[in-house]
Amino acid sequence: MRARTRTLTTGVLAAALVAAGCSPTTDSGGGGGDDKAKTQTGSISYEAADNKGPAKAVDGAAKGGTLTIMQNSDFEHLDPARNYVNVQQVAGGLLYRALNGYKEDGSGKMLLVGDLATDPGKDVNKDCKVWEFTLRAGVKYEDGSPVTSKDVAYGIARSFASNLNEGPHYIQQWLYPGGAYNAKYQGPYDGGKPVPDGIETPDDRTIRFTFPEAHCDMPYAAALPTSAPVPAAKDTRANYDLRPFSSGPYKVKSYQRDVALELERNPNWDPNTDPLRNAYPDAIRFTFGLEQAQIAERLVADAPADQTAMSWTDVPPAVLPRTTTAGVVERVVKGPTQYVWVLNINTQRVTDLNVRKALNYAADKDAALKAIGGQAAGSPATTLMSPTTAGWKKYDVFNAPVTGDKAKVTELLGGKRPKLVLAHSNTELRTQQAEAIRKNLTDMGFDIVMKPIESSSYYDEVGRKNNPYDLYIGGWGSDWPTGSTIIPPLYDGREIVAEGNNNLSYLNEPSISAEVDRVRSLPAAEQDVGWMALDEKIMREYVPVVPLYYDATYELHGSKVGNPFLSDAFGIISLNGIYLKQ
Amino acid sequence: MFRFVVRRLLVAGVTLAVISLITFGLFFAVPSSPAKVMCGKNCTAEDIAQVEQRLGIDQPLPRQYADFVKGIFVGRTYGSGDFQQDCPAPCLGYSFRNNQPVTEIVAQRLPVTFSIVFGGAVLWLALGVSLGMLSALRRGTAFDRAAIGVTLAGASMQVYFFGLILLYLLVYATGLLPFPSYTPLTENPARWAVGLLLPWMTLGFLNSALYARLSRAQMLETLSEDFVRTARAKGLSSRQVHLRHALRAAITPIVTIAGLDIGSSLGGTFITETIFGLQGLGKATVEAVQFLNLPVVMATVLLAAVFIVVANIVVDVLYAVIDPRVRLS
Repeated sequence: MRARTRTLTTGVLAAALVAAGCSPTTDSGGGGGDDKAKTQTGSISYEAADNKGPAKAVDGAAKGGTLTIMQNSDFEHLDPARNYVNVQQVAGGLLYRALNGYKEDGSGKMLLVGDLATDPGKDVNKDCKVWEFTLRAGVKYEDGSPVTSKDVAYGIARSFASNLNEGPHYIQQWLYPGGAYNAKYQGPYDGGKPVPDGIETPDDRTIRFTFPEAHCDMPYAAALPTSAPVPAAKDTRANYDLRPFSSGPYKVKSYQRDVALELERNPNWDPNTDPLRNAYPDAIRFTFGLEQAQIAERLVADAPADQTAMSWTDVPPAVLPRTTTAGVVERVVKGPTQYVWVLNINTQRVTDLNVRKALNYAADKDAALKAIGGQAAGSPATTLMSPTTAGWKKYDVFNAPVTGDKAKVTELLGGKRPKLVLAHSNTELRTQQAEAIRKNLTDMGFDIVMKPIESSSYYDEVGRKNNPYDLYIGGWGSDWPTGSTIIPPLYDGREIVAEGNNNLSYLNEPSISAEVDRVRSLPAAEQDVGWMALDEKIMREYVPVVPLYYDATYELHGSKVGNPFLSDAFGIISLNGIYLKQ
Repeated sequence: MFRFVVRRLLVAGVTLAVISLITFGLFFAVPSSPAKVMCGKNCTAEDIAQVEQRLGIDQPLPRQYADFVKGIFVGRTYGSGDFQQDCPAPCLGYSFRNNQPVTEIVAQRLPVTFSIVFGGAVLWLALGVSLGMLSALRRGTAFDRAAIGVTLAGASMQVYFFGLILLYLLVYATGLLPFPSYTPLTENPARWAVGLLLPWMTLGFLNSALYARLSRAQMLETLSEDFVRTARAKGLSSRQVHLRHALRAAITPIVTIAGLDIGSSLGGTFITETIFGLQGLGKATVEAVQFLNLPVVMATVLLAAVFIVVANIVVDVLYAVIDPRVRLS
C-alpha cells in the first residue's frame, strides 16, 4: 500500500496532493487553527435513511446555471482506474459513482455510505475476508443502459493494466497479496482474462470480493474511484481518460486538455438513486492554466462573470491580506486537510534520543509555516495523525512554545553542538521553508548543513534506506480517515525496504510493531482509539519526527455560489450540494 | 526571384534539420526521466521500463531521431496491442500526458497565439509607424517631444508590468472589460475581439514605442536625402513626397524588424499568454517543459524555428516589392 502523497508543486499545497482521507469532523467552521482539543468520531453508516436517495435538499437552493471552477492546471487523470488526487476524485464524482461514497452536508457530520451500492458492504462471514455489495436498482449510464455489477468488476480488472496504473491499488493488492499487485494478473487486455481472481458477480446487481486475508477497511477502499463501473464495450483504454462514460449526474460535453473541461447534465441520472449528490448546476465548466494569483485576484474582485466561479487552488500568500475585508472574507472556505507535515529525523543516524527531543523543543513551527504562507497554509502540529482522522485527540509531549524553547534545548544537548544534514526539495517554497528551519535550528544550537535535492527525485532520495541525510521534511495524507493508513506505513519498522520507503524516519522498534499488530486485531470500533494511543506512545518514547504542521485549505468562491462547504473527505470545496444563486 | 526563393527554401530546410537535431540532442541530455515523471506514484522499475518502451525512449538516439523524422512524413504508431495509438502524418510525436498527437495540440494552441500576435501587430505597426512619421514631420514641436516621451516610457516598460496594470485598472478595479479569454474568430468575431483586447493593447502600446522611435529616425534620415529634395524640386505635393517617396524608403528596415518580431512572437508569447490566462503556444511550451512532455517541447521549438525562418524569407521578398533599388537574383 503506498498511499503516499508527496508532490508539492508551486503554490501552497493542494494542487498535486493525493487524497481522500476523510474526516468525520465535529467542527463546522474549520480553519487552520480551530482544531485544538477536538475529538473525531468516524462512522460508516448502515442506516437505511443515510443510504437512501435522493440527497436531502439544500435550503434555498435551486437548479440551474453554470458553475465555473478555475484551476491552475488540468487534471492528470479522470479515468477512474488512474484517479488518485483529491481534485480529480471530486471532479470524477460528477461523472461516475463508486460502490461507496462520503455523505457530507457542511454541518461537520460525515458518513461513509453506499453510492452505487445499497449500503457500505456486507462482511459476509464477519471475518472481513468476504465482502458483498448490492447495486441499487435503476442506476443508468448516459446512454440509458443499466449499470451492472459486471461493469464494476471490469472497471477493477482494467485497473491492473500497467498502462492504467496511476490509481490506488488497495483492492488489487488485497486480491493478490504477496508481491506486486499486478504480478499475476495484468488486466483484461491483450488476451488477459476478463475478471481477476476473487471477484464474482452472481447476478447483475451483486458483486462479491473474496480476499485471502482480512481487510476490515474494505468499505473505505470501495469509496475510491477504483470501483466505479466501466462497461467493457465503452472502454477506450488510454483515451478513456479524456471521456469517461458517465454513470453520474454529469457527462463530458467537451474537453480540451490543459484548456477547459465542460460538463453537462446526464439526463439518465436519477436523483432518487443517489444519496450523495444534489447536482444543482446545469453545467460545470473547468478552466485550466490560470496562475494561482490570477485566480485569487479574480475571485476577490468578484466581477459579474466570475460571481458563479470558485477554485480548488489555495489563495497564495500575496493575495491573503485582501481576503480579510468585508465582502471577501465571507467567501473564504478554509479548514484542515488530511495532510500532516513533519520533519523526519533519520533515526539510523541520529540515535541519541536527547538530540531528537532537543529538535522537538527547538523547532519554530511558526517560522516553518510562515515560509509557505502562514496561517492559511496550516496550523502547528504536535501529533503524527491529522485532526481529520477518526479517533484523533490532541496531545503535546513537549509542550514547547510554538517558536521553540532554547533553555530546554541547551539542557538536553549538554554543551554539544550536533552537526546535522538537512535535505530538502529544491522547489521555491520548500527551499524557503528549509532555510527557515536551518536558521531556527542554528540559532537553537545545531550545526545545519543544507542539501537541496531535485524535486522530482526528492522522495526517491530520502526514501532510500541508507540515505546520507539526518533531517528532511515530508507530508503524508491518508487515503481514508483511520490510523490504519497512517501509523503502519509510516512507523512500523517491518515495512522498511531498501528503496521507496514511506517510513522516512526509519524507526524500527519491535515494541511498536507489536502494538501495530495488537491494534489491528481489535474490533473495528476500538481501533481508532488504539491508533491514537499508539501515535502518542511513538512520540513519547521514540521521537522519530518533529511534527511541524497540519496542512490547511484556503479557497475562495464568487458571491453567487451557494452552499460551498469544505469537504472533510477531500479537503477541498465539495460540489455535491453546491448551487448558483439566481 | 523564383531561383532566389527556391534557394532560400533549401537553406531553410537545412536550418530546420540542424535545429531539430540539436533540440533532440539536448533532450537526450536532460537528467530527469520523462518516464518517471509520467509514471507517477505507484511506480516500480518495471513500470518505468514499460513507459520508456511506450514512449520509444528506450531506443538509441539515432533510431529515435529517424523515427521522429519518419513520423513527420508518413506517420507512426506508439505502443502495442490493445494500447496502440496512431499518430497520422505529419506526426510531430504523441503526448501520452494529453492522450493526443502533438499535431492536434499545436493545432489547438496556434490560433490563440496567432490571434494575439495578429491583433497586436496591427496595433503596434499602425500606432508606431504613424506616430513616428508624424513626429518626424513635426520635428521639434510639442507633439514630437510628447510622442518621444511617451514612447520612451513604453519602450522601457515590460509586458508583465504594463499588462498587470491594465488588468488591475480595466478588469479587477473597474470591471470595464471582462478577463481575457479566447473565442475562435469563426465562432463569434465580436467575442474574439473583446476577449483579446487587453493583450492587444499591451503588446500594441509596448511594441509601438520601439517602432515609433525607429520610424521617426528613419524618416528624418530619408527626408534629408537627395532624392527627396529632387522630388520636392520637381514640384510634387508634400503628401506625395512623404508617403510615396520618403515613407517607402524609410520603411524597409522597419519591415525587417517587424518580420522578425512577428515571426518570433508566433513561436509563443509566453508572458502575455500567462498574464492574461490564454492557452497559446507559449504556455503549451513552458508547461510541456515543466512536465518533461518532450514531444510537445520538440514540436513547439521546431515550429518557432519555422516561423522565424519563414518570416525571414517573407521579409526578403517584401524588400524587393517595397524598395525598387533592391533586386533579387
